[in-house]
Amino acid sequence: MNNPHEHIIKSYDGELKRLTGEIVRMGELAVAQLEAAIDVVERRDERAAQRVVDNDDALDALEQEVSQDVVRLLALRAPIAGDLRNVFAALRIAADIERIGDYAANVAKRSIPLSRVAPITAAGGLANLAELAADQLRNVLKAYDEQDADAAYQVWKSDADLDEAYTVVFRALLTYMMEDPRNITPCTHLLFMAKNIERIGDHATNIAENVWFVVHGEPLVAPRTKRDTTANPDFEK
Amino acid sequence: MTNMNEVASQPGFGTSPHASGVDLGQMPAKMTVRDVNFHYGEFHAIKNIVMDVPEKKVTAIIGPSGCGKSTLLRIFNRIYAIYPNLRASGEIILDGENILDPKYSMNRLRSKVGMVFQKPVPFPMTIFENVAYGIRHHENLSRSEMESRVEQALRGAALWDEVKDKLKQSALGLSGGQQQRLCIARGIALKPEVLLLDEPTSALDPIATSRIEQLVEELKKDFTIVIVTHNMQQAARCSDMTAFMYMGELIEFDRTEKIFTKPDKKQTEDYITGRFG
Repeated sequence: MNNPHEHIIKSYDGELKRLTGEIVRMGELAVAQLEAAIDVVERRDERAAQRVVDNDDALDALEQEVSQDVVRLLALRAPIAGDLRNVFAALRIAADIERIGDYAANVAKRSIPLSRVAPITAAGGLANLAELAADQLRNVLKAYDEQDADAAYQVWKSDADLDEAYTVVFRALLTYMMEDPRNITPCTHLLFMAKNIERIGDHATNIAENVWFVVHGEPLVAPRTKRDTTANPDFEK
Repeated sequence: MTNMNEVASQPGFGTSPHASGVDLGQMPAKMTVRDVNFHYGEFHAIKNIVMDVPEKKVTAIIGPSGCGKSTLLRIFNRIYAIYPNLRASGEIILDGENILDPKYSMNRLRSKVGMVFQKPVPFPMTIFENVAYGIRHHENLSRSEMESRVEQALRGAALWDEVKDKLKQSALGLSGGQQQRLCIARGIALKPEVLLLDEPTSALDPIATSRIEQLVEELKKDFTIVIVTHNMQQAARCSDMTAFMYMGELIEFDRTEKIFTKPDKKQTEDYITGRFG
């Protein structure tokens, strides 16, 4: 007799576990990439930055594998109910993590031209923003691994804090650029990097929404407070 | 004609039906089917079948009613031979010998190739006798050897734990799923090399079906399995290779994953997606 929580057909359980394992692995890589990206910005290390850029290939390859496994699972096992939601979510989450990886690689890539000009104080705000994003990512991946919808909801809500921090960095960079035109080039790079990190946060909330869906079978719908006001018409007032 | 070595060297051909990244390289064929034709009297039921059945893998045969899948299965152990007017031509090579050759002993064939039918057909005997009966027909065993063999077969069919305390009870008292597993025990008791399953779970409920499918996955470690099923999902779940037949012909034969994700022939795609006119 099998354990009541195991599928009668053992290989099916094996395949589902393999899929979630791939997602967990992707998540670990993405967190490592983001942390490495922050690190190379601070240390202004061109060679290390290039390594982060190159490592993104591993994430792309994993996403391909997840896609193939999802197609195979859907075709050959015809999953339903919770199994279906799991497989479906894995596909979407893999895509989100792959984008997160791209953004982390972009941050590392931009650190190269940044490291070739004199360091500026504004870069410090970026590290704080990145830490917030990394926390969001770590927390949502933990929520996925533990199928914890409430923890996912917390991540989803906390994106507002990340948006606020982004707005602060945005304002600071504008100020630096207005003070001294020599700051414009490095600050522009930093602006893009800050935006990349803010987007990482958005993808983390996507993952949170998918975790919620896996557990509850319904989309997470509540008005999410968006505190990135940089695009508001009254921003400069 | 599918080249087994090409098929087997592609990623995805592994020990669990759908494991990816496992490359088995050379994949020997257990049965080589060459230009097999079959007639019911004047009716040409099976036309020019060419296929290699891989060793210790599960090969499923699917197709609409009347396509000849059960007929083909029955050619593998010449069960048609008891009826007049039924004749097969061509070759099926099993371990270097053509089993369709009239000189190939039927007894020897039936001990190498076992069969399980759709409707569980336990003999009206005790559970023990059901398994022992066939063995006794082929081998002379002492009482303790026989007991050991019967236990081995029942364990192999994942039935031992449920019947070990009632071996002397009538097999007819078992549930449908248990009876079918008893028939499988009977089939494997003679240690065949090939096991033919003809719609083995059509008469069973979903849980019994799953248990048989799990059993098939375990059995393929030791036996080459050919399963006929009208349930395409079953073929998708538990087979390594799938053969699609239509009107007596083999339309397509390839890795199950390929058949169910991107079949080569439109006819195959139409059938499996339910677009068959």
